[in-house]
Amino acid sequence: MLNATLTYDTLRFGEFEDFPETAEPVWILGRNFSALTEKDEILSDVSSRLWFTYRKNFQPIGGTGPTSDTGWGCMLRCGQMILAEALVCRHLGRDWRWHGGQRQREEYVSILNAFIDKKDCYYSLHQIAQMGVGEGKSIGQWYGPNTVAQVLKKLSVFDSWSRLAVHVAMDNTVVIEEIKRLCMPWLDYAGAACSEPEPDPQRGLNGCLEGACAMAVEEMVLWKPLVLLIPLRLGLSDINEAYMETLKQCFMLPQSLGVIGGKPNSAHYFIGFVGEELIYLDPHTTQVAVEPSHDGQVPDDTYHCQHPPCRMNIRELDPSLAVGFFCQTEEDFDDWCMRIRKMSCSREALPMFELVDSQPSHYASADVLNLTPDFSDSDRLERFFDSEDEEFEILSL
Amino acid sequence: MPALDKPQQPKPFKQRKSFATRRQEVAGIRSKFPTKIPVIIERYPREKYLPPLDKTKFLVPQELSMTQFVTIIRNRMSLMPSQAFYLLINNHGIASMSLTMAQVYKDHKDEDGFLYMTYASQEMFGQE
Repeated sequence: MLNATLTYDTLRFGEFEDFPETAEPVWILGRNFSALTEKDEILSDVSSRLWFTYRKNFQPIGGTGPTSDTGWGCMLRCGQMILAEALVCRHLGRDWRWHGGQRQREEYVSILNAFIDKKDCYYSLHQIAQMGVGEGKSIGQWYGPNTVAQVLKKLSVFDSWSRLAVHVAMDNTVVIEEIKRLCMPWLDYAGAACSEPEPDPQRGLNGCLEGACAMAVEEMVLWKPLVLLIPLRLGLSDINEAYMETLKQCFMLPQSLGVIGGKPNSAHYFIGFVGEELIYLDPHTTQVAVEPSHDGQVPDDTYHCQHPPCRMNIRELDPSLAVGFFCQTEEDFDDWCMRIRKMSCSREALPMFELVDSQPSHYASADVLNLTPDFSDSDRLERFFDSEDEEFEILSL
Repeated sequence: MPALDKPQQPKPFKQRKSFATRRQEVAGIRSKFPTKIPVIIERYPREKYLPPLDKTKFLVPQELSMTQFVTIIRNRMSLMPSQAFYLLINNHGIASMSLTMAQVYKDHKDEDGFLYMTYASQEMFGQE
């Protein structure tokens, strides 16, 4: 243990257990493996993911702030891991594998550089912690899955290299039209129900492909790669058992980016499952911050989890989490929608979120609907329940 | 200043009133307002981020969708669209947002005739 400080979490579990010898399939980010015959492939796939942990001795955040995130940065690190996975899929592909000790591909170096603990890196801890201030989190405060999702969405705008469309689906509802507009900003949905004024000067093109061709070359990409994050609460103090199967099925989708969540107080990045156990990368190990060398290469050994990944029973899962998906193309997204619809039709699994074509037309105007207390009703009610200590509040359409 | 006398986190509605009282209350209000659904909305006792609501008992039009209902509650609390807010039915699951109140009521109403909902945001993760 040269640079790693063990936290109680890693100490408690002691040695890292090897994978169980089981005939049950091992699912990792949309791929399945046999624990009996493909152990090396499993470990190679796991160690190819970028693993972000607590770090110490980095530049003080905001110039005078903390120099380590031990104890508070675990959800921020999980957010980095799920976004890094999206970037790997975006620039290297899901089948790319990391081989330590070699000169790495340029795209890989660029991805890793976006997460180094320095203030100027796109998705550094510094950037995430400082962008969180706008979400009501001062530097050093704990994040939830939605907090980090919101921050990543804001930071992704500055990453002109990846040009991701990061969408955070609120109120456990994914609206297809909203996503299509986000990923194809050149499309004009003027005929659709929600036509809000956009400052986009290209708006006059009316969405025809000929119009799109007249746009700048980089605008011609017909689909901005989509990172879809869906923050959820699958129970109050414990996860509702009815969601366990659905959650597992998320890891089986080819578009899976895994899940950020955790056990109460400890955030983990879940990348798959075997049987009733979730497989995860754990940020709760403090390592020393890394300095990129002069040629831009980053000593990257500590950014890959090279021991068998941790596992925990799905029942221990905290109900607050966010599931993530990546759709490189429009076809990927259409395929994802089809699979989600199929899943929600099956009787065994309770849907965790809803997929709808468009936002209900009354949604935008719900606050202008007369949904304030109905006074004529209230008067009647007051007479009716004169002696009541607590009155009903009556909502009327 | 009666507001000061109220405890910060009142006892759950079910503990404040007997089953018979609650049942009677529903029967009375349903006879007066047959097209409205009696709903109890309470804050998750361990909720730290969302404000308390000034009302617990709501009479909601049966044709209102869950989306509309959530929007009303969100507006009532002046939440930003990016803030996490979940309404859990019967302390259990999240209702599908496209269902109407009538549908949710049919499937999840309590024996006393009320529909119980608890609201919560998300937990934060970190170590003391």
